[in-house]
Amino acid sequence: MQDRPTAPELLDAMAAELYAEVREWVPRERRFRVLVLANLCAVIARELRAGDEPSRRDLELFSALSGSHADDVREAATALSASIRQGDLDARLSEAIAGLREHVARKLDVARPGYR
Amino acid sequence: MNQPPEDALAVGIRALIAQAEGSDPGALALSTIPGGASRETFLAEAGDRRWVVRRDPLGARDSFAPLEVEFRVVQAAAAAGVPVPRPIAFEPADGRLESAGFAMDHVAGTSVAPRVLRRDDLAAARRVLPAQLGEALARIHSIEGREIEGVSASDSDPAFAACELWEATLDGVGEPLPAVEVGLRWLRLHPPPPPARECLVHGDFRLGNLIVGASGLAAVIDWELCHSGDPAEDIGWLCVRSWRFGNDEKPVAGVGSLAQLLEAYEGAGGDPPSPERIRWWEAMGNVKWAVICARQAHDHLTGARPSAELASLGRRICEPEWDLLQLLPFGEG
Repeated sequence: MQDRPTAPELLDAMAAELYAEVREWVPRERRFRVLVLANLCAVIARELRAGDEPSRRDLELFSALSGSHADDVREAATALSASIRQGDLDARLSEAIAGLREHVARKLDVARPGYR
Repeated sequence: MNQPPEDALAVGIRALIAQAEGSDPGALALSTIPGGASRETFLAEAGDRRWVVRRDPLGARDSFAPLEVEFRVVQAAAAAGVPVPRPIAFEPADGRLESAGFAMDHVAGTSVAPRVLRRDDLAAARRVLPAQLGEALARIHSIEGREIEGVSASDSDPAFAACELWEATLDGVGEPLPAVEVGLRWLRLHPPPPPARECLVHGDFRLGNLIVGASGLAAVIDWELCHSGDPAEDIGWLCVRSWRFGNDEKPVAGVGSLAQLLEAYEGAGGDPPSPERIRWWEAMGNVKWAVICARQAHDHLTGARPSAELASLGRRICEPEWDLLQLLPFGEG
């Protein structure tokens, strides 16, 4: 066990300080880069808080669509990508599109909530 | 003579401009204009006169349209009435610019899209931009891309060629992106009919590649991705949500409606593509932007261009993926 602040709490603190203070110290034409760093801290904090659940659901989805049995979500994504490219899912393309919307929504919840 | 490299380049640019314009501009002060990922851009100043020089980075890999071709295309665009910075002279790789490049007039204004969309002093420009963009696109599309030496053109239908290109580019990155794959597959199975005519396509027509001043569109720049293709490609790309920078209710670059754009396009002699053809290319535009984000993040991961900003683009792939899957499917009963 590590002492508090937790990792997401530390990232929140970093994001807040980068955004509210450090940005002001940086020449105007380079402030965008500070915003990028603040935003990355916020993304990582959300990813840590979301835990394994989004990846577990992606693994289920990818396996169900491609009929593969990978244990690893990246392997499953690779298998599904290949099946789609080969045309194996052509008869179920609307179903695949609907399922993959959910997958993309899970990525957006971490990377950019509110985009939807 | 033992000059630092910047000075050698300034001397080279001065000689190039003096020869092309028939008068010596005098000593030039050089500064770098940031932005372009694969080209170097310099501002050259002598008193209140300004020029811009674009050249290949020293030791660069091959680019999409070599600068010599880009120079010819900008000349053709100027002749067709497209607002562009007046091209002055091209210099080959073994010449006075140390690598291949060309000089052009400097055009005042901004090409930072969020500034165009938010700055108070550009409010009047925003009102006239949708029509100006339609007009500029019609003029670009009046040019026969295949008649300009060196402009790339595919032997196959442009829609099919785009599917092939982005599948191959994604394979080169090696990231599994099933949402992009399902979009590409759908687009491959539902292509628009071949376009009535192919023409010059800018290839990256959005606010980031336009110079906007107080009276609106001042110049179309960055012709690196130009090719011969379907005119609807430029229109669909201009409608990609990522280029609206939050002004989501205005599909055309965050400044206007498609109807405004197409009315001006037709008024300037363009033949407006069908809504379904534009939508196909907008969806393909989202595929393209998702794959480019993945490639930029990959450039960070391989160490080719270490950068937190490029790395962060890997986590923005899901934005065009979402827009892509919102656009599909369409056109079926």
